[in-house]
Amino acid sequence: MQYGGAPGGPTFPGQTQDPLYGYFAAVAGQDGQIDADELQRCLTQSGIAGGYKPFNLETCRLMVSMLDRDRSGTMGFNEFKELWSVLNGWRQHFISFDSDRSGTVDPQELQKALTTMGFRLNPQTVNSIAKRYSTSGKITFDDYIACCVKLRALTDSFRRRDTGQQGMVNFSYDDFIQCVMTV
Amino acid sequence: MAAYSYRPGPGSGPGPAAGAALPDQSFLWNVFQRVDKDRSGVISDSELQQALSNGTWTPFNPVTVRSIISMFDRENKAGVNFSEFTGVWKYITDWQNVFRTYDRDNSGMIDKNELKQALSGFGYRLSDQFHDILIRKFDRQGRGQIAFDDFIQGCIVLQRLTDIFRRYDTDQDGWIQVSYEQYLSMVFSIV
Repeated sequence: MQYGGAPGGPTFPGQTQDPLYGYFAAVAGQDGQIDADELQRCLTQSGIAGGYKPFNLETCRLMVSMLDRDRSGTMGFNEFKELWSVLNGWRQHFISFDSDRSGTVDPQELQKALTTMGFRLNPQTVNSIAKRYSTSGKITFDDYIACCVKLRALTDSFRRRDTGQQGMVNFSYDDFIQCVMTV
Repeated sequence: MAAYSYRPGPGSGPGPAAGAALPDQSFLWNVFQRVDKDRSGVISDSELQQALSNGTWTPFNPVTVRSIISMFDRENKAGVNFSEFTGVWKYITDWQNVFRTYDRDNSGMIDKNELKQALSGFGYRLSDQFHDILIRKFDRQGRGQIAFDDFIQGCIVLQRLTDIFRRYDTDQDGWIQVSYEQYLSMVFSIV
């Protein structure tokens, strides 16, 4: 049975109706997985960056590792879909703060954006995050996404260890560096 | 008993401990001028990147370049002047010597076993598994071994994480207890 337009990917019913699958299949190989380079191409072609410049490769690497649960260095279509909806959400946030459509936001707007995303962080933490991601005092869309990806990955890594939901975690040295390095 | 004691080694400060002696100023000045292509008097990230080789015929890791420049740039100008450059030169030369020392099979890359030797030579006591993680995270060539530029960056990050862990481990028992916000602020600036 031939499903139109889907070169060699998984063929369970309904999947090929998904427009996202077209972008994904165009770059994924026979194994139905994409790596950071392919993700970059895929996102650029899909236009998720809207009017903004496409993502840089390092940001794409971060995105792959954020969802790379089996540590394969690649993501499958379901993970890609998950990423897509997360990115869309973050993009909406960015747009709402980039009032002059310059493609950048300032650190204060980043603070507000993080708060509306549900991150309750103290001012010092937000300040150091803003400093880390600004170039000449402004934060580009690409860096904003990199920041969000990292925040989410770090939050997930913390939550996984906070089994008692105390908001506090005990780390041994080895555990700490492994935990941080796998983000 | 601290599980992570280490004596100062390469990268513990701005540069490996027992390092190369500085060559004379005129030699360094010649190098500086050649690297400072636009003759601005300051070597930028991209100028330094172009001057360095990682042995793989691909551009030197820009993140490593940024780490090095920011270590020596005392004026927040995103570059180094001649005086700061002498520190950069020594730092990189020392890392070259370290890399050569531990690349025992002279392959131009450091594999897992050589990495274990190197880190234990710096005084770290790390699990076997950690070395796989480090290679996976920093190896940009994707060959399961680590090139010169990625090796430097991996060691810099490891050192920074160790330093910050120590700062929180006030009773030096190898354990810390941190809140979510502490965790974020500890780590965000490093990785």
